Amino acid sequence: MQLTIRNLSKTYKNGVRALDNLNLEIGTGMFGLLGPNGAGKSTLMRTIATLQSPDTGTITFNGIDVLEDQMSLRKILGYLPQSFGVYPKMSAEELLDYFATLKGVSLKSDREKLVKEVLEITNLYEVRKKHVAGYSGGMKQRFGIAQLLLNSPKLIIVDEPTAGLDPAERHRFLNVLREVGTNCTVIFSTHIVEDVKELCNEMAIVNGGRILKQITPIEATKEIEGQIWSCRVERDDLDAIEAKYKVLSSSYNQDNSLTVRIHAPEKPSDDFTSADPQLDDVYFIALKEDEPIEA
Amino acid sequence: MFSTIFKHELKYWFKQPTFYVFAAILFAISCFMAAATAGVFDFITASTGSSNIVNSPFGINGIFSGMTIFTLFLLPSIIGVSVYRDYKSEMHTILYSYPFTKGNYLMAKFLSSFLMILIIVAVMGLGLIIGFRLPGTNSEIITGFNGLAYLQTYVVYIIPNMFLFGAIVFGVVTFTRNISAGFITVVLLLFIQGLASGLAGEVENRFIAGLLDPFGGDALNYYTQYWTVAEKNENILPIGSLILYNRLLWTSIAIAIFALVYKKFSFSQNAVTFSFRKVKSERLTKHNFGGITRINLPKVGLDYSVKEQLKAAWRMSQVDFKYIVRSWPFISILIVGLIFILLMAITSGKMFGTSTYPVTWKMLLLPGGGFSLFINLLTFLYAGMLVHRSRIFNINQLIDTTPIKNWTLVLSKFIALIKMQVVMLLVIVIAGVLFQVYKGFYNFELGLYFYELYGLKLVHFVIWAMMALFIQSLVKNPYVGLFILLVISIGIQFVSFAGIEQTIFKYNDAPGYRYSDMNGYGGSVPPYLVYKLYWLLSGAMLLILAGLFWIRGLPHSFKERFAIAGTRFKGITMLSFFGLMVAFFAIGGSIYYENNVTNERKSSKERELSEVTWEKKYKKYEHFLQPRIVDVNVTMDLFPKERNFEASGTYIMVNKTAQAIDTILVNHNNYPSTFEFDRENMLVSEDTVYNFDIYKLDKKLIPGDSITLSFTLKNKKNTLMRKHSPVRSNGTFINSNIFPSLGYSGGGLTDDKVREKYGLSKNDLKPLPSDSTALGNTYIAKDADWVNFEARVSTSEDQIAIAPGYLQSEVVKNGRRYFHYKMDHKILNFYAFNSGRYEVKRDTWKDVKLEIYYHKGHEYNLERMMDGMKASLAYNSENFSPYQHKQARIIEFPRTGGSFAQSFPNTIPFSEEVGFIADIEDGEEGGVDYGFAITVHELAHQWWAHQVIGADVRGATMMSESLSEYVSLKVLEHEHGKSKMRKFLKKALDGYLMSRTMERKRESALAFNDGQGYIHYQKGSLVFYALSDYIGEDKLNGALKKYVEKVKFQKPPYTTSLEMMDYIREVTPDSLQYVIKDMFTSITLYKNRIVDAELTELDNGKWQVDIEFNVSKYRNNEKGRRFYSDNKQDSISYKTEKMRKPMYSVPLRDYIEIGVFGEDDSDDKKEVELYLKKLKITEINNKITLIFDQKPTEVGVDPYNKLIDTDSNDNRRKL
Repeated sequence: MQLTIRNLSKTYKNGVRALDNLNLEIGTGMFGLLGPNGAGKSTLMRTIATLQSPDTGTITFNGIDVLEDQMSLRKILGYLPQSFGVYPKMSAEELLDYFATLKGVSLKSDREKLVKEVLEITNLYEVRKKHVAGYSGGMKQRFGIAQLLLNSPKLIIVDEPTAGLDPAERHRFLNVLREVGTNCTVIFSTHIVEDVKELCNEMAIVNGGRILKQITPIEATKEIEGQIWSCRVERDDLDAIEAKYKVLSSSYNQDNSLTVRIHAPEKPSDDFTSADPQLDDVYFIALKEDEPIEA
Repeated sequence: MFSTIFKHELKYWFKQPTFYVFAAILFAISCFMAAATAGVFDFITASTGSSNIVNSPFGINGIFSGMTIFTLFLLPSIIGVSVYRDYKSEMHTILYSYPFTKGNYLMAKFLSSFLMILIIVAVMGLGLIIGFRLPGTNSEIITGFNGLAYLQTYVVYIIPNMFLFGAIVFGVVTFTRNISAGFITVVLLLFIQGLASGLAGEVENRFIAGLLDPFGGDALNYYTQYWTVAEKNENILPIGSLILYNRLLWTSIAIAIFALVYKKFSFSQNAVTFSFRKVKSERLTKHNFGGITRINLPKVGLDYSVKEQLKAAWRMSQVDFKYIVRSWPFISILIVGLIFILLMAITSGKMFGTSTYPVTWKMLLLPGGGFSLFINLLTFLYAGMLVHRSRIFNINQLIDTTPIKNWTLVLSKFIALIKMQVVMLLVIVIAGVLFQVYKGFYNFELGLYFYELYGLKLVHFVIWAMMALFIQSLVKNPYVGLFILLVISIGIQFVSFAGIEQTIFKYNDAPGYRYSDMNGYGGSVPPYLVYKLYWLLSGAMLLILAGLFWIRGLPHSFKERFAIAGTRFKGITMLSFFGLMVAFFAIGGSIYYENNVTNERKSSKERELSEVTWEKKYKKYEHFLQPRIVDVNVTMDLFPKERNFEASGTYIMVNKTAQAIDTILVNHNNYPSTFEFDRENMLVSEDTVYNFDIYKLDKKLIPGDSITLSFTLKNKKNTLMRKHSPVRSNGTFINSNIFPSLGYSGGGLTDDKVREKYGLSKNDLKPLPSDSTALGNTYIAKDADWVNFEARVSTSEDQIAIAPGYLQSEVVKNGRRYFHYKMDHKILNFYAFNSGRYEVKRDTWKDVKLEIYYHKGHEYNLERMMDGMKASLAYNSENFSPYQHKQARIIEFPRTGGSFAQSFPNTIPFSEEVGFIADIEDGEEGGVDYGFAITVHELAHQWWAHQVIGADVRGATMMSESLSEYVSLKVLEHEHGKSKMRKFLKKALDGYLMSRTMERKRESALAFNDGQGYIHYQKGSLVFYALSDYIGEDKLNGALKKYVEKVKFQKPPYTTSLEMMDYIREVTPDSLQYVIKDMFTSITLYKNRIVDAELTELDNGKWQVDIEFNVSKYRNNEKGRRFYSDNKQDSISYKTEKMRKPMYSVPLRDYIEIGVFGEDDSDDKKEVELYLKKLKITEINNKITLIFDQKPTEVGVDPYNKLIDTDSNDNRRKL
């Protein structure tokens, strides 16, 4: 199972180039798309999910030309958009039955079995008679997973699913996703690095419509081992440090001082101590390197 | 803060393309309408000839106010959207926390959007102004630009209406956060208007209707209802007190609504919702720690086959259908629709205050066009909702990524709409049956209900649903889509103005069907269904297009959508589209071929031109001397099952002139015919277009000599689409017009302006009765005086066939029934054939045999009709002359043939609709027994037409229709008493005053009338009834008796209205001679009214009444202009200090009835006359003092409304 994206470009009417000659290959397993807001993640995912057509480029999945033969892809696709609504006055059971119909489950008994199963997987069985419109954010997101499962998809695309979930819901959600993703391709976009770290066996960092880096999370941190340094500085000194070093992140401590992490091949000075590389660092390095050089 | 929001809103609207789209569409429509009424399209369609000035203040108000109906449907999408917008964009959560007052917010929102509406309406007004001025408009019906007229309509009617409806819609949308709710509100307000105008049908209710009509139209009508043509053309619109009250009432309601909105509105974030279920509250905690589950999805079959997609469409339609029926816009329309139909059932369908039995076909008529419009509106609305619902609820990305086919989605929406329509139609059944039960009528024809509604009607709405889905899937805003659909569905009726007349070019148009108890749908169903099939095919093509343009994924630009549609157009989609197209064009083509090639079809322009040519070519033969028919012997073979006929006949014609005749002009129709004379001749001119053939006789027909014409005719073969014969499977009614006549007749072009355009001389219609050279023909026939008549009629074995005359024999042979009828004396050349499966009711009056041939099941009023025949025979023979026949027969015919009765010699075809199913309540409160009244009228024609027949000059119908109506009134009065007469008279007065406002050519005095129904029926009945009151029934009838004696069965020259008036004059005292002028030879109207009445109790216990009353009268010329003098100098006037203008009157020497009324001692306080006397009046203002023993309660001048008076309500006053 292989998703291949070649030379994908898309420019919106307002002149924003959301995809810029993007190339990507994704195999089985969980694939994390990491990128800041507006990086083009959603455009990429919607394009793969047949909701949008690119200006140029090709997408193939398992021999299916996605852009030409959208129906074939939809048959094996599970998609959960960044935000979605539901019809009012419909219970989870009714709505899932509706989706099962949409997805081609023709026998009533099949639909019943299936709906019951996905409700149980997503732990919604008890509230199956309640209107989905009244669900909390986490329940609704789980409902999203439930509908996604109905056609036993081979390609699953979930767009920033954990945004706005409380920690317990987030965990539960990721666990379910993980379960689902064992035997198929799951593309998972987020701007939360933690998600990728916990879940993905492969990842790509996207910005400005391009893939900045494609790597596995473990390798990613391995790559920069010994290159991350941290130091405690006063707020007033930050500008000087930023000018001097490649600062990846800086965060306040309780006493109003800052902890600064920088990327450097060797120890920059004695003030810095070596730090364990984090996936965050990889992310920031990638973004930093992509930034236009200021004159 | 107000101005900031206000300006911001205006800026927003001026940037909206929808605003310009709406304005442009409405501008175009109003321009088109104005131009069309002003005759711009006269070069392609029939001339807009009329004496009405189309852009008079009255005309402008009509068209301008009418057009604003469209703008009502913009209110939700402009005024409603102004609030909804903030909510939809979720700006409200931020906005509502800003520091402005709700007053500022609401006012700015409302006023800015209200201003936009006013601008759009003003643009419409501009469209009208320009439309009237377009080059090519008919200058004869256009007057100069009158800005004030537009302004008056705009300020007095449109602005308050928009304010009212705007405020209501604003309120509804603000609270429900639902645009459709605002839209449904508009529909409900239209319901109210419908009910108000329903009320206005009855004279007594017009004041209240004027108050209640939210549009103010009925208030204006209250003042202008009786405006004559001249008044409509010249007067500016009145601003009467009722109009002010109406405007005040509704504007206050609007302000109250706005105040309520202001009071109840709070910057909260939730819409007001209603729920009938109590919600239990419970504390909610969730499982925060869930285990890890193993996912083991059951293996299920995924099936994407066509069959499964179809099933899926059905299942999904169920979801959409549930959404519709649970939404309260639908529910409210359903309930209000039900109430609407029931109210219609209670108020409508009355004739002279008498209702009919609630037979099923009547119930099916109740919903009428109004309810159909509501079903269409719901269809348009919900088509938009269903198409855009997934986007509105943001679930579209989930749905669009499933492997469901586009066509499955379209189909599921389509099915859901049909289901909704099925439910709406069920309302009609429920309302109908409920009403029938309420009336105690238990003959439920459920089969008929379902056949008509689901077999015939539903497909009409289905075809609209197809169009609706197409438009709504093209347009992104469902309310814009709705508006476009409304414009299409309403506008399609008006394209014939521009010369597009054929049904196959107007979407979803089809020939109608009508049901009759006697004849069912009478062959009208197959053509209807063929047309509907044709439109279904086009609708299916539209559905395919809807699928092609279906948005899958994120909204695309229109260009992109076109490209996508192009890529989707392939394979089966393309094949089925072309398949449908081929079928569509095949059916359309064959209909076109049938209508235009096989059969002649004339556009209205061609018809007009054809009339012109006919006149130009043959008018010269109008006074060509011809022999006259003296003997008619015809055979008519009817084949009801095949709906064919074959006829033949022989005319014996005699040269009654003093000159030899060598040319015979045969005027016939386009049935395949043959003609043969019994002497040598040559066909010198055969015209297959006008069917006017000229034969030259080899040997001249010398005076007194006779010639025989034998002819045959039959109908062309009927086809599925077209019936070529008037034969019905049950209830055939064919009259003698089907047979050939001699000489030129007719010329239907009466409008002088149209005639001038084609170079024809002015048409004076018929000559005046004073023209002694014009009295050679009766007004019934030009080619015969009195004829011998004999007829053989045959029909199928199960039917009875009837023609005038006495039955000579009846034979059954080879499954057919043969009748032979013969008259024992001469009759007018005017007869008919009837055939049907009849039951017969028989009776006798003296030695006259009476028969009613009726449809089984229509027994309700046979006794009353029998009584009517007897009463009429008695009254006429006692008062005028003996009955000339020994039998009289009434024969029922289907309502599809019309709703009238017609009197042939001793034979009266009578429509099933006008009496057979009347539900007459006896007693004071009941309505007029019109089945009885019509029977009396028709029987009276055996004297007044079949004995006394006027010459073919103006005023001739006075001796037939007016007198038959007079007899009917008198018989009714003798049978039922005077009180019932007032209803009849009031109705007649209203009918006369209403119809004369619609006159297109001229209104003449009764004695010179051009044959208009409102003159010879309504005015005629009022005049003769009043005359009998003035000079006495005995005296009048005595004069008429003498007159009948003189002229009955006379030979030419025939009698005229002038001759009859001479007899009447003779018995009229000198003091009342003025009445004859007022009533017969001029159009005279009174303005009588009580000015003041005072009651004082005298010391001796008696009562004194002081009455002040005005009497004045004026004359109208033929266009309805008023004159207060016959010689321009002798008018009288009256003016008091308070009056701005004096009152004028024609000089008075009139006897006017003054009445004083009291109440009797009975419980219901019946009215008793204390005083009723005709007083001689010579002044406009009069005072009278009367003293009574009993306490008077009411006074009146002309209290019984015997005189013609445009305001009959101010004639009485309660004390």
